[in-house]
Amino acid sequence: MAKFITIGERIHCISPSIRKAMAERDPEPILKRAKEQIDAGATYLDVNIGPAESDGPELMTWAVQLIQSNFDNVPLAFDTANKKAIEAGISVYNRSKGKPIVNSADAGDRIEYLDLAAANDAICVALCSKAGVPSDNDERMSYLMELLERGLGLGMEAEDMWFDPLFLVIKGMQDKQMDVLEFIRMIAEQGLNSTGGLSNNSNGMPKHIRPIMDSAMVAMAMMCGLTSAIVNPCDLRLMETIKSCDIIKNNNLYADSYLEI
Amino acid sequence: MPFTKKPHAFKAAINEVTLGTGDKAVTIGGENTYPFYTFDNTTKNKPVIGAEVSDIGYENEPEGYKAFFGTEDMVERAKKAAAMDEVAFICLHFAGADPFGANKSVEECIEKAKAVAAAVDKPLVIMGCKNLEKDTELFSKVSEALAGKNIVVLSAREENYKTVGASAGLAYNQKVSAESAVDINLAKQLNVLMMQLGVNPKSMVMNLGSAAAGYGYEYVASTMDRVRAAALGQNDTQLQMPVITPVSTETWAVKESVAEEADMPEWGSREERGIDMEVVTAAASLSAGSDAVILKHPESIRTIYKLIDALC
Repeated sequence: MAKFITIGERIHCISPSIRKAMAERDPEPILKRAKEQIDAGATYLDVNIGPAESDGPELMTWAVQLIQSNFDNVPLAFDTANKKAIEAGISVYNRSKGKPIVNSADAGDRIEYLDLAAANDAICVALCSKAGVPSDNDERMSYLMELLERGLGLGMEAEDMWFDPLFLVIKGMQDKQMDVLEFIRMIAEQGLNSTGGLSNNSNGMPKHIRPIMDSAMVAMAMMCGLTSAIVNPCDLRLMETIKSCDIIKNNNLYADSYLEI
Repeated sequence: MPFTKKPHAFKAAINEVTLGTGDKAVTIGGENTYPFYTFDNTTKNKPVIGAEVSDIGYENEPEGYKAFFGTEDMVERAKKAAAMDEVAFICLHFAGADPFGANKSVEECIEKAKAVAAAVDKPLVIMGCKNLEKDTELFSKVSEALAGKNIVVLSAREENYKTVGASAGLAYNQKVSAESAVDINLAKQLNVLMMQLGVNPKSMVMNLGSAAAGYGYEYVASTMDRVRAAALGQNDTQLQMPVITPVSTETWAVKESVAEEADMPEWGSREERGIDMEVVTAAASLSAGSDAVILKHPESIRTIYKLIDALC
């Protein structure tokens, strides 16, 4: 099996410093966060420019070229509601380190993001939901099948659709957690890839608790077959857990320095 | 339904490493398939053979070996070996440096190495005497003495990788082999440590350990298999160094190759036995992933060359 893929989530316009940097086209805050995440071991970096209704294509093009030219063409995930911005980003994207990821499609209003990924030979995060949280795994599976069939119909490889089970917040939906893990197992049993916003599970918890809960969640999810997650790679405990799970799963050959590489 | 051939070349590849300089420089590695899987992809660089020339023990060599080389002189033997088309590089084996053996001085070894370097234009690989202290000194000084020759030192070990890596790999820009005695996790760890030291992974090769067939060889084969699977299947950049396997030093030291015919008449010719041991071990190493094997007997070298040529 291949190593677990981490998608660093810290270039996100919800952060005031990043939003300001994007608005002013100031490279430094963005490069700083890119470097931190790459140094911490992120495979992909997510670039979230928000809705970016006015200048999306131009902003995404700038961000992609800025990050890739400074960090040896690090592979990127494109995260915005503006489809034109994703297309513009992919048009200047260097694929030498990996295909671009479109983040994300779902089985509802955002299903056309799958078409966008297919048309641009990209990987697509495919949320197994339509409107709101699915009531059970049968419903999740029906969305998965809908997305899978559409993607295959558009000529995508199944391995390029990374199904997102939709991690749920424990504070409020504690009783649904095992369903999510079970659904990850159902995805894995079909030989499909998966990803998701892992830290949703610990939303609202005290800051010192979140790395602990995220680490436990990622370990259980990897046991069930999760192949990727959108995470904060600067969370050392989480990254150490992922690297250790990769060793136990025989995804990576053990060496005494495995945490350093 | 018609059979559709689906070649399975990996997305990852073994690093290409060039030994030596000039027209006779040789590049090993580069493949993105399992060994000899030519149906998956053409082999970028065929595996090659190095000829071991030792500084001691000529008097005990079998008759055919002596007939071919005709002299004890190390430089002359290196020249004869280098003249064989089948030989890609010369491995100078300074077994005589061992303080518990002939205890030749490092200076004497270096003089020999320089004389060979002046006489042959094929790449040189320097093998030590297995005494840690002596080898560390020898590798450092020979790297300096043969600066610019792009030699390989065989090998840095867990105990001396810092000194050997710093001198051969960093100061004199030679190639360094990392030796791990059939320990897959140590193989990776040593590479990680050398890279952390600053040695360019493209200047590194691996000696994953060796054994004569029948002497724990299955561990060697499974280690090499697993390393190649991780390097290609998991794109493990810490394991994508090409593999050089010393064969002759192992196979000519076991009783099958040592026992004289007079003592073991039912075993037949000692020389044939020695060649057989060398050939089977080399063939097994190549099929497990060695990019280069080091052999001694001209007959073994010719045989293995034919094998490689026929398979890729």
